[in-house]
Amino acid sequence: MATTLETARPTPPRRPSEEDVVRAAKRKDRITTWGWRLAGYAFFLGIWELASGRLMDENLLPGPSTVFRTFGELWATGEVPGAFATTLSRIAIGFSIAFIVGVGVGILMQNRFLNGFFRDAVTIGVTTPGLIWALLTAIIFGNRPAGPIIAIVLTTFAIITVNVSEGIKSLPKDLIDMAKSFDVGVVRRNREIVLPHLAPFIFTGVRFGFSIAWKVTVLTEVFSSSKGIGFEMRTATQLFRLDEFLTWILAFYVLALVLDKVVLETLERRFFAWRGELKS
Amino acid sequence: MSADLRVAGRTTAGPQRASRTRRAWRTVWRSPLAGRLTFPIVCLIVWLLAIKVVTTIWPFAVDVLPTPWQVFGFMFDEIMGKTVAPHNMYETFAISLQRLGIGMVIALIIGTIIGIAMGLSKAVNAFFNDWVVAILAMPNLAWALFCSLAFGFGDIGPTIVVVLTGVPFVIINVREGVRNTPTDLFDMARAFGVPRQRVIRQVLIPSLLPFLFAAARYSFALGWKGLVVAEVFGGQDGAGWTIKFWYDAHRAYGVVGYALLFVIFALVFEKLMFDQLSKRLFKWRPAIDAADVVEARFDAQTKAAPQPPTAPSAPDHPRSNDHG
Repeated sequence: MATTLETARPTPPRRPSEEDVVRAAKRKDRITTWGWRLAGYAFFLGIWELASGRLMDENLLPGPSTVFRTFGELWATGEVPGAFATTLSRIAIGFSIAFIVGVGVGILMQNRFLNGFFRDAVTIGVTTPGLIWALLTAIIFGNRPAGPIIAIVLTTFAIITVNVSEGIKSLPKDLIDMAKSFDVGVVRRNREIVLPHLAPFIFTGVRFGFSIAWKVTVLTEVFSSSKGIGFEMRTATQLFRLDEFLTWILAFYVLALVLDKVVLETLERRFFAWRGELKS
Repeated sequence: MSADLRVAGRTTAGPQRASRTRRAWRTVWRSPLAGRLTFPIVCLIVWLLAIKVVTTIWPFAVDVLPTPWQVFGFMFDEIMGKTVAPHNMYETFAISLQRLGIGMVIALIIGTIIGIAMGLSKAVNAFFNDWVVAILAMPNLAWALFCSLAFGFGDIGPTIVVVLTGVPFVIINVREGVRNTPTDLFDMARAFGVPRQRVIRQVLIPSLLPFLFAAARYSFALGWKGLVVAEVFGGQDGAGWTIKFWYDAHRAYGVVGYALLFVIFALVFEKLMFDQLSKRLFKWRPAIDAADVVEARFDAQTKAAPQPPTAPSAPDHPRSNDHG
């Protein structure tokens, strides 16, 4: 802004420099992009809203405005923070355990024997649908809090391990060889060479792991819990209250997205600030 | 080199110490196969111990954890085709596979069209992008519950769930593929005045093929997971319904046995179908390694996609996956 004012005063706007042209083009580009993006929002929300009364029964497909209203009503009852806190604390505990197990197993997989040992465990953990763990833990633990936590650990650790072991494959071998030949101890070698190298891989694992962990938690709560988001969702569907059901799931979905995009991403940026060239 | 040094040092220190047992121990410790074989044994031991622990902690919960023999007996019966459930294993998986197949075909068609449009035009990309990411991040439980209420029990609900879980993956992969097409080939085609349709058929599609293939692979793995959940809530038959059948009957051995069948099913499909298919499909490529490279790089991109559209896709993004 300031530059245009200054250049405008001494000479008539004869020669817009190349930089200005590029900037103007970029700005125009951004405006059209945002325009289309807003058009997309309007289009999809509009379809949703229109379909709710006309194409499908209002009870079957409550529109966005209904969902907003229902959220206000649910918030007024005071159930929302409690349910969120329950589910979030389960995710926090389960995910921390899964993180420790996942990274630990990933690091252990440097050894060839243990690599073979854990390989099938990881494959099973990655391929098995979360539904199976949800049902199994529901049978074994009933509605005890251990059920969802174990389900989270079983589904999530494998994803973190896959990432970590992927990172281990690309370890700087020469550095490790050098450390070995200079008799650097195992602990120090792991702490100062292996871990810094693995950090970005671990972070990716954490983000994927988180995106799966919260889904599994909700799924497990649907089957075997007496509080939490999943329980509320189940109650709502059993009462055929689709508006409440949609409100619960969308509210939690938004929260999970915020956690992933805002919290984890900020952490990642802070953590890797020293690298500087992450943006490519 | 360092290994040589170390070996030399060790032998001078104590040449006699490397006895046979120790060497045997070391070969075992170095071999992945031994580890692989140890894994099931350890699992079995942990399983038996867990039964012991559970029955001592909760004495009333005797049949909460099935014994391995029960489970394997159940699986054997299922494989022989004997079952108490309304359909035997083969019919059940066939029903589910049919739904999965139809859903995947629809997802591939819709996803390819939208994906190509998004890759070619910035405006279309801006229009759809956030919604694709949103649908990608939606738990399939939500789709499953919603479709079961909206469409009732039957084939429609689960199939729609498969489409909804598969479509965003196909879209993102195809878009990535369009962006990665060799632009010089397009330039050349334009210079020689090749008609647009021919360019699409002979340049765009062949270069999209590996991306489409990987998309199919992912949407198979994820669509399967979504389908199972959908069948639990809105099916009358199929794999998900059957596992729920055993769950409702409180037959833990049925649930565990079916879970193991699921794992076997997924592995068989991955190894027998997709690996073979990829070998056959990409035979014309000069080097198989090239295909691997493309797929690996492209994996990273897909997996980066559930994160924000602006996520930095560092070149060293690891290959993390939901698939087998």
